[in-house]
Amino acid sequence: MKPPTRRLAGGFLAGAGSRLLPASLPLRFFGAGVVFHAGAWLALLAGAADWPGWHGGLGWPLAALHLITLGTLLCCAIGASLQLLPVATRQPVRSQRLMAALWWAYVPGVALLALGMGRAEPYWMATGAAAVLAALALFGALLGMNLRGARGMPGVVLHGWGALLALALLGLSAVALVGLWLGRPLLDTGAARGLHLLAGAFGVMGLLVFGLAYVLLPMFALAPVPDERRQLASGAAAIVAIALAMGAAFGAAPTALRLAAIGAGTLALVLHLQLMRQTLSAGMRRDFGRALVLMRIGWSSLALALLLALALVLGAPAETFGRLFGIAVIGGWLLSFLFGVLQRILPFLASMHAARGQKRPPTPSALTLDRPLAWHLVCHVTALGLLAAATLGAPAALALATALATAAALVGLAGALCFGIFFAVLMRRLQQARGGGNRPPN
Amino acid sequence: MTPSRQVGRCLDDEHRSHLELLNRVEQALGRSAGADVGTIAASLLHHLEHEIGRHFDFEETQLFPLMAEAGDGDLASLLTEEHDNIRAVADELAPLARAAAAGAPEPAASAVLKRLMLELVERQVAHIQKESMALLPLLDDLLDDETDRQLAFAYAAN
Repeated sequence: MKPPTRRLAGGFLAGAGSRLLPASLPLRFFGAGVVFHAGAWLALLAGAADWPGWHGGLGWPLAALHLITLGTLLCCAIGASLQLLPVATRQPVRSQRLMAALWWAYVPGVALLALGMGRAEPYWMATGAAAVLAALALFGALLGMNLRGARGMPGVVLHGWGALLALALLGLSAVALVGLWLGRPLLDTGAARGLHLLAGAFGVMGLLVFGLAYVLLPMFALAPVPDERRQLASGAAAIVAIALAMGAAFGAAPTALRLAAIGAGTLALVLHLQLMRQTLSAGMRRDFGRALVLMRIGWSSLALALLLALALVLGAPAETFGRLFGIAVIGGWLLSFLFGVLQRILPFLASMHAARGQKRPPTPSALTLDRPLAWHLVCHVTALGLLAAATLGAPAALALATALATAAALVGLAGALCFGIFFAVLMRRLQQARGGGNRPPN
Repeated sequence: MTPSRQVGRCLDDEHRSHLELLNRVEQALGRSAGADVGTIAASLLHHLEHEIGRHFDFEETQLFPLMAEAGDGDLASLLTEEHDNIRAVADELAPLARAAAAGAPEPAASAVLKRLMLELVERQVAHIQKESMALLPLLDDLLDDETDRQLAFAYAAN
């Protein structure tokens, strides 16, 4: 039996060249994610006055939430999955035309959906949702084909199947929610919302984040692949936790099921963090700078979210704690982890494309403008802190909460623009390197 | 993660000592604007003039042909391309490092030295990363006991 390192690295490196998609395919998803990220903070700015009293209805806060979840998180996860999974599972790259079509359905769909939510136009929203659902069905089909033929990496594959199942439930709950707003209820409002949050944040994004970490962290840290039995145990515990919480959303013994879900979720997180710690301590490069800081913020936020969930089950005020839970999960965990990963893989991917047919191609750091990333980190953390402060202040002082939400939106927007500058400079340097002229300095 | 073949262990030991040196250089260069670039460059001289060539030549002449025969030619090509890039940086850096070892470099030469040393660190660390994760585990399948013994002896004698 080949050692686990070989299963990852041999397949990954030998296959990386032949399985490298044209640069424009994955990068268009990452680019859209970067633009939607700025759009999300702009939407929050537009709806800052509504934020303290928002209860999940149509309006700019809902648009901001979906620009982050669908626009930034899922859009980038699709781009990363399309490039990474065929390499990790040693599968051929599927139709590139389908991947391009997926972008053309998904990105305008998300934009229209968010606009419909912000302007409270249910039919715009329904049209946007239809395009997004069609694109996600296509993504699900591509992901399913890849996972069905996967060789090796059973832990990653289990997380992939879990995410795929959750994607189907996300689509179902989205249809139910749009039906509610169009006056055609398919599910109870609370159940549909609960299913939507759990399937989207924990099922699709959470499982992809856990699974892809087993590919990415060993690469970044120069470490062996984490123990696969523990990967499977963590993945199974996470899937059980999500299933239990979904059962609770439908009203079946909610307190007991939620407590069990928190227990299973904690077990999944502990196992995952043990594997991440072992990977980092066994790695030959244990510190990969700002990216690791963001990932650690992400893991800490997930632990905080589980504590907030426990407080909610034990009777803490749902208004405040529910919203803090959302900020911890979406902003603290998923968004922080994503930006940690993006600032490592984007220069790496760009340098692989720049290397094609070139002698002494530019290195990843030669393609990276570092300063905006430092500013992005500061703004990201500050914006989330201000948003949490706005939530804590909301019940007592509405004006203060509105001011804090406005400040959060402005700081978050500044951070998003900084990340946008990093991305734009990276694309420009890649173009220069491939053109052969004005090669960026190494 | 220790390789089971003698050749793998030799290469792994060298990778670790190279990483240690490269990490020291990276940290020294990043420590302050007033880092003594000349002294740091001088500490790399032996690595540039002897270690890189010896290590790469052995892999290219003894190991990569075996990899290509076993169907891992893509990986061998990728690693050879990286060797060429690292050699190009080392060729540019070595005369400047020699000059720096003889006397403090001018500010303009210091800037070039620093840029080239950072480029060498980045390229070689990424390359060691690939070899540690892909090449060394592959040797367990690629070499039988006798070939392993002969190659390890030849490498040690070189």
